[in-house]
Amino acid sequence: MSEVCIEVADCWKVFGGRDVDKAIAMAEAGAGRAEILERTGATVAVRNVSFTVNRGETFVVMGLSGSGKSTLVRCVSRLTDPTRGRILLDGEDLTAMDEATLRRVRRQKLSMVFQHFGLFPHRRVIDNVAYGLEVQGVPKAERRERAEEILAVVGLEGWGNHFPQQLSGGMQQRVGLARALAVDPEVLFFDEPFSALDPLIRREMQDELIGLQHRLQRTIVFITHDFAEAIKLGDRIAIMKDGSFDQIGTPAELIADPATDYVREFTKDVPKQKVVTAGTVATGPKSETANGRKVAATDTIEKILPALLDDPSPIDVVDDEGRVIGCVDREAVIQMLAT
Amino acid sequence: MTASTAPLEMLAGADRVRRYAPWVLLVVGVAVLQVSYHGEPFPRAWDTVISDPINAFQAWARSNRRTHPLFTSFFTPLSRSIDWALTSVEGFLQWLPWYVVPGATFLLIARTRRWWPAAVAALASVYPGIVGLWDETMQTLALMAIAVFICLVIGIPLGVAAAFSRRLESVMRPVLDAMQTVPAPIYFIPMILFLGIGRVPATIATVIYALPPIIRLTALGIRQVDRQAVEASTVFGSSRAQTLFKVQIPLAMPSIMTGINQTIMMALGIVVLATLLGAGGLGQEVMDALQQRSPGRGTAAGLAIVAVAMVLDRIGASFADTDRTHHVSWRATAIGAAAVVGALFLGSALGWSEFPPVSDVSILAPIDRAVIWARDNLSFITRPFNDFMVAEILVPARDLLTEVIAWPVLIFATAWVCWRMRGWKLAAVAAALLTVVGLIGMWELSIVTLTHVVAAVVLSVLIAVPVGIWAGRKPRVEAALAPILDALQTVPSFVYLIPVVMLFTLSAVPGIIASVLYAVVPGIRLTALGVRQVPAEALEASRAFGATDRQTLFGVRLPLAAPTIMAGVNQVIMMVLAMVIIAGLAGSQGLGFEAVRAVTRTNTGLGFEVAIAVVTMAIILDRLTQAAGERLQPPSA
Repeated sequence: MSEVCIEVADCWKVFGGRDVDKAIAMAEAGAGRAEILERTGATVAVRNVSFTVNRGETFVVMGLSGSGKSTLVRCVSRLTDPTRGRILLDGEDLTAMDEATLRRVRRQKLSMVFQHFGLFPHRRVIDNVAYGLEVQGVPKAERRERAEEILAVVGLEGWGNHFPQQLSGGMQQRVGLARALAVDPEVLFFDEPFSALDPLIRREMQDELIGLQHRLQRTIVFITHDFAEAIKLGDRIAIMKDGSFDQIGTPAELIADPATDYVREFTKDVPKQKVVTAGTVATGPKSETANGRKVAATDTIEKILPALLDDPSPIDVVDDEGRVIGCVDREAVIQMLAT
Repeated sequence: MTASTAPLEMLAGADRVRRYAPWVLLVVGVAVLQVSYHGEPFPRAWDTVISDPINAFQAWARSNRRTHPLFTSFFTPLSRSIDWALTSVEGFLQWLPWYVVPGATFLLIARTRRWWPAAVAALASVYPGIVGLWDETMQTLALMAIAVFICLVIGIPLGVAAAFSRRLESVMRPVLDAMQTVPAPIYFIPMILFLGIGRVPATIATVIYALPPIIRLTALGIRQVDRQAVEASTVFGSSRAQTLFKVQIPLAMPSIMTGINQTIMMALGIVVLATLLGAGGLGQEVMDALQQRSPGRGTAAGLAIVAVAMVLDRIGASFADTDRTHHVSWRATAIGAAAVVGALFLGSALGWSEFPPVSDVSILAPIDRAVIWARDNLSFITRPFNDFMVAEILVPARDLLTEVIAWPVLIFATAWVCWRMRGWKLAAVAAALLTVVGLIGMWELSIVTLTHVVAAVVLSVLIAVPVGIWAGRKPRVEAALAPILDALQTVPSFVYLIPVVMLFTLSAVPGIIASVLYAVVPGIRLTALGVRQVPAEALEASRAFGATDRQTLFGVRLPLAAPTIMAGVNQVIMMVLAMVIIAGLAGSQGLGFEAVRAVTRTNTGLGFEVAIAVVTMAIILDRLTQAAGERLQPPSA
């Protein structure tokens, strides 16, 4: 099992209200947001969320507006203080840190990309990208050189002397991405970075992020309201609703086995055969009638479908070391596609 | 069935009680008070309660100014250092060769590639010299420079602090509100108490008056900085100071510059009034002109103030333009600066600092002649208007409020309105303040002033709202009005008084007309803004249903613009109140006249009493119009 990078334990965030304890107690007893707001004046934005993110993993939190996903990512990066709970980064408790220590950790390990870019309109692109290095005290020549390199990585070579508002939305978010990458962070937070972009640019940026992540292997916490985006980018996805997680799982797990009706609502429109893998639907031990056919556990159903149609007998599913972990047959696939 | 409808009926009954009870209370209260107090004057139980101790303190201050530590260790050193600064700056400005002023003006504005405004401002900066007011202008500039500098040194850090600390903000907001509600000359009274008469109290009064906008706009600018930009700065590990100086202050700069600009304009607006405290300079010139009834001289000096305002405004705007991409290059700016500095040293070496005497470029005589002609030939309009206002409106209104309606009825009715509009707190405050005003013997004077204020406000609104609607719907009209409104707003309020006083006989009417001229501007502006800001979609929707222009105007445009129009009415009231005291100089009876008397005779006790009365009126009218504006706001989520 890979190493844990971020661990969030029992995280709560309550806004406003006089009696936070009462609000939390009500929430624990199962009261809804509206009821708690009416009784205590407090809004429970994040309720008792726990999860871990492994090093190098892309963890997506998907939820609609008002689900608390933005608040959650701000708690994890401690842009706001969680009301309860602990946030561990490499085993260090962010919530227990004083300002100076937190600042040091941020300089060394964190960065973030924002929905509306959060660029500094009074600074040129190059100085936006170099900002993280600037606050660390890196000399001007050195940080500019580094910023130029990163600009080239995101495809903005030669744009350094422009001001952000002279660039298109997609280019501005490339600046935001470059700024986040320039400090060589261990962890990247993305707060709906592509929501403000039009669909074609969005897809382009998603593909580029996938390429970058493939090379850089950073730990990413990615917030989105777009389920398709979540499936495309996420190693694991958490579906968030009313401040808590309905389900955490790989894209294939969510689609093959949605935990709640709410999750099913999102998975309904996704072409399952393109996401669900043979490993997810594999059942039982090695089949007697498998007649030697094998597919990889990571193969999508779409890919193995022709083989199953050719011959109704089950097919063995093997992991990446060639061991048989189960088999798929027509019944299992039909059942999965029908639900 | 009956069991379930009975509570409903009871509820409806309770509802009815709740709806009619306040009205019953009003009618019964008014009737009882009117019958039992009819014809009785307000008992002046506290006639000397406030004025005596203050006058006693003033006498004490006068005799202890040289010995008591309050003065020797605080006010006197403060006074000395401000006086030193004033003398130095004034000396420097007088020493400067005159042409450096237009040169530097041009350079500062042209830096942003606004060539025409730069040229016009440079010309304007020479105007005071042409009419022979160069030295007075430099005096005024020196006072302004020091006052504005102090404002910035105090105001910007306070604004930053207020943006960060909710608690400080909640303490400061009512203070700033009060500072802007209190008419300016009221500040003068405590100044006289502690510092006497002279340039220093005038400077400090100017500072107090001009301070609120820079604090407010700094705080606003900092708070308005894109939250994500601040978060981005934080998440990269910036310290608070790094975030403040690298992100928040630079991004708040346009707002801060607007604040500086407003502070300058407010300082300039009070320059004439500050002469009551001995500020000298251009204000003195206007004041002398008013006393000598010389519209020519007043206009010349007034225009000099306008010229200063225009130049400073343009320079301020050039600094507010922080988008450097279209500015001229650094090198060109540096060459220009070097040229001006070179000319400076050359000129001072040759002794060219005096403004060259200009012979016979006089605009004084023709203006005097024109106003006299107007006085003699327009009297068929001005005389009846004046008589009508006095005999048919102001006097009957005053009699109605002082002789017919008993004073407790007025207090009760005011409190009732406050209660209905804003809640019992304002009602209690209003009732208490009004009672104090009566007890200290300011009741009749306040009523007289109230009639003037209401008359001026009604006239202003009658002009401002239709004109504003027209301007808001027709951009061309608005563009044509803009320079007129700008001019009306930059001309110091005093300057209006001079021709108006000459056209009308000495009564309350010139003061009212001057107030209208002064106050109508924000009314027009905000009405136009409100009408223009109505979402285009709402108008299109209305048109798509086949509404006529008229239906759209009354059904969609005006209701949506109403909160902004109400904000305009609020500003009109505040500006009319600010003019009340100035109008006293033109012979309006009432609080204004008393205030002028208090300042000129240094009767500080009387000044405080007037201040209480004016502030009471300001608070009640301000809060009520604000409440009205809030009620007009469509409910939000």
